[in-house]
Amino acid sequence: MRIAHYLNQFFGGIGAEEHAGKDLEIRDGAVGPGKLLESLMGDNAQVAFTFVCGDNYAVEHQDELTAAVLKKLRDSKVDLFVAGPCFDAGRYGVAAGALCRAVQTELGISAVTAMNEENPGVDLYRDTVYIVDSGINVTKLRDIVAKMAALGKKLAAGEAIGSPGEEGYLRRGWLRDQLVDKSAARRLVDMLLAKIKREPFESEMPATAFAPVPIPAAVKDLSKAKVVLVTDGGLVPKGNPDRIEGTAATRWGAYDIKGRNDLRAEDYEVSHGGYDTRFVQEDPDRLVPLDAMREMEKNGVIGKLHDEFLSTCGRSNPLSNTRRLGREMVEKIKKEGIDAVILTST
Amino acid sequence: MQLTLAPHPITDLQFGPNARLDGTVLTVDVAALRQVVLQEASIVDVEFDIVRPGEPCRAGPIFDVIEPRAKEPGTGEDFPGILGAPLTAGTGTTHVLSGAAVSVLAEISPDLTRSATGRVLEMSGAPVTASDYAALRHLIVIPHTKPGLPRPAVEKAYRIAGLRVAVELARSSLNHTPATCESFDPVGPAESGRDGLPRVVYVGQIFSRQRKPEVDEPILYGANTEGMLPIMLHPDEWLDGAIVPSLHSWFGGTETYFYQNHPIILDLYRRHHAREINFVGTVATIAGSDNFDRDRHCRAAANLVKWNLRADGAVLSKYGGGLPHADLAETARLLEGMGIRTAVMVSDVSRDRRIESALLFNVPEVDAIVYNGGNGVRWELPKLERIIAATPEFTKLLTGPLTVDAANIVGVTNQQGASRMRSLVY
Repeated sequence: MRIAHYLNQFFGGIGAEEHAGKDLEIRDGAVGPGKLLESLMGDNAQVAFTFVCGDNYAVEHQDELTAAVLKKLRDSKVDLFVAGPCFDAGRYGVAAGALCRAVQTELGISAVTAMNEENPGVDLYRDTVYIVDSGINVTKLRDIVAKMAALGKKLAAGEAIGSPGEEGYLRRGWLRDQLVDKSAARRLVDMLLAKIKREPFESEMPATAFAPVPIPAAVKDLSKAKVVLVTDGGLVPKGNPDRIEGTAATRWGAYDIKGRNDLRAEDYEVSHGGYDTRFVQEDPDRLVPLDAMREMEKNGVIGKLHDEFLSTCGRSNPLSNTRRLGREMVEKIKKEGIDAVILTST
Repeated sequence: MQLTLAPHPITDLQFGPNARLDGTVLTVDVAALRQVVLQEASIVDVEFDIVRPGEPCRAGPIFDVIEPRAKEPGTGEDFPGILGAPLTAGTGTTHVLSGAAVSVLAEISPDLTRSATGRVLEMSGAPVTASDYAALRHLIVIPHTKPGLPRPAVEKAYRIAGLRVAVELARSSLNHTPATCESFDPVGPAESGRDGLPRVVYVGQIFSRQRKPEVDEPILYGANTEGMLPIMLHPDEWLDGAIVPSLHSWFGGTETYFYQNHPIILDLYRRHHAREINFVGTVATIAGSDNFDRDRHCRAAANLVKWNLRADGAVLSKYGGGLPHADLAETARLLEGMGIRTAVMVSDVSRDRRIESALLFNVPEVDAIVYNGGNGVRWELPKLERIIAATPEFTKLLTGPLTVDAANIVGVTNQQGASRMRSLVY
């Protein structure tokens, strides 16, 4: 097996922080931890060449570095790309993650790296790259490289990869369904009893933290603002022209309300299976309050109501999807010169 | 208050002229059952079929699965408040045809936005390992309702017909001696002799106000839950017909069968017998439609657990779709704040299989979560000769080959704790 290895200036033997500006250097054969890697891989594994680059150079010239690494690897017949281990070195981790991802997606070469969970490279790349949990203790290098070698071998051979616990990598955040022996009821009571007895227990789903969404600045003068109504309650014109799905919608629509003061029941339907839609069906203004907005427009509370309302269905919609829907809506809202958005949900 | 269950193991169902139980073989009298079903004026015709474990056959959409059970005469009502007076469930003796089920088919899809077929009963192939229902002998009830009825009326007719058939079947066992008799150690906040054992409570949602219940929708002792606050129930009330699923959410992974065999309650009982815990009671609650509603219910439920049941710990389960996760988490958060340890069970909402889409709450105190999977598995079902459905359209749709999400096989993604399908984080 032919391996390419990426190291920073420190592990590449060039020197400490004062050499962090060093540009990319490509050496034949294994360097530093690469030698250990080679021996632990066994089976005639060979580190064909080693990329060594200073940490500052790597983050400041990430695109050039990536291009240079890809160029070298393109026809190199390399089976596996290994970066690090990076421990808690942030710049090193970010560069290693970026390179692993690029090598995987651009060249289809398997890649593995290792970092401490707090390394900023983990959050950036854990969902696409296998990152072995290195902790911060450099004296455990041998154990960590052994895990990287075992995982790398499996990846290069296209074998099934076990759970994070089994293989030693940091969870990538993908869910896989499995039939287990114990029913959910049993696991539930087990977990409670462990908790009561203050024994260790593992929640089956870790909470995900999201970056806070900062509250935007207030609209300076609402009486001059152009306002749009946006809903995820699934209101669509009769016949659902954009075929917005009633569960996990992948589409949204913009629907003309120019010259109308009221949404009439007979003109609309609701594509949403997650709430009692009968009340909106009776009077769509209950979800998209056109009647109230027109009054505010007339009374000068708002400047102008945009001529369309935007609609999609929020039911059971995964974040990967809703982010895209949101971005697309924002693009339109900006293009239309809209100043304020009223979101109505269900 | 103590329920005695009298199980009669059933190894086969057969059609025949006189309903009777011979050993473990139950003879089902179609003519008599027909009369039972046609008491419902909304049903104009009915067919029956029998399916057995391992048979290459498929039935759907399944409206409900019910265990045939009948009260020993004079000891209570079958499905009180629904089929009879709302007397307290969970007393006296209930005869159980264990290993058998009554499964009611629908002529309509439960929710076209999720699946045209609704939930399917598959008796052979890969899905059988994932659903307890595949191991039962089912009497399939295929009702045909009057055309033009509003949907809730149709669903109510299905509910009543299914329950009546289940009771009627089990009546064949009334004059038989059961294989064993099972009753549970007394449970209650004031039961003595368990000092030092952790006092544990089950808090279960039985309805979600994502939809307003129908005026005549039977859920709790026949009531539709409108205006209800959380209520303490004896665990035997859950097991003995006090609660059935709501009419609308027959797509939600809750069937009558697993109220009658409630996996969480039975597991708490098991540990109560083993003297691992002091099972002190249960609270039935509903998920609110808005924040006021939610606060009211969550606080009332937590207060019952704390002040009436004086619990050390509680397990919580949800009902319905996404919204009830909020009520579940809020109740658990309040309990944790009162010093009561909690574990909660949620259903799979991650359609992109990403961990970030997996939970609908992020409450640090709610740190013990059991995750029912299901969105990540699909089965390729083969073409089968034997399809049981209420309409030619469904027969055609179900003939196969077809791809079915795990959640569309009845029993796989159960919200009462029966599921063994788990999403693991990779």
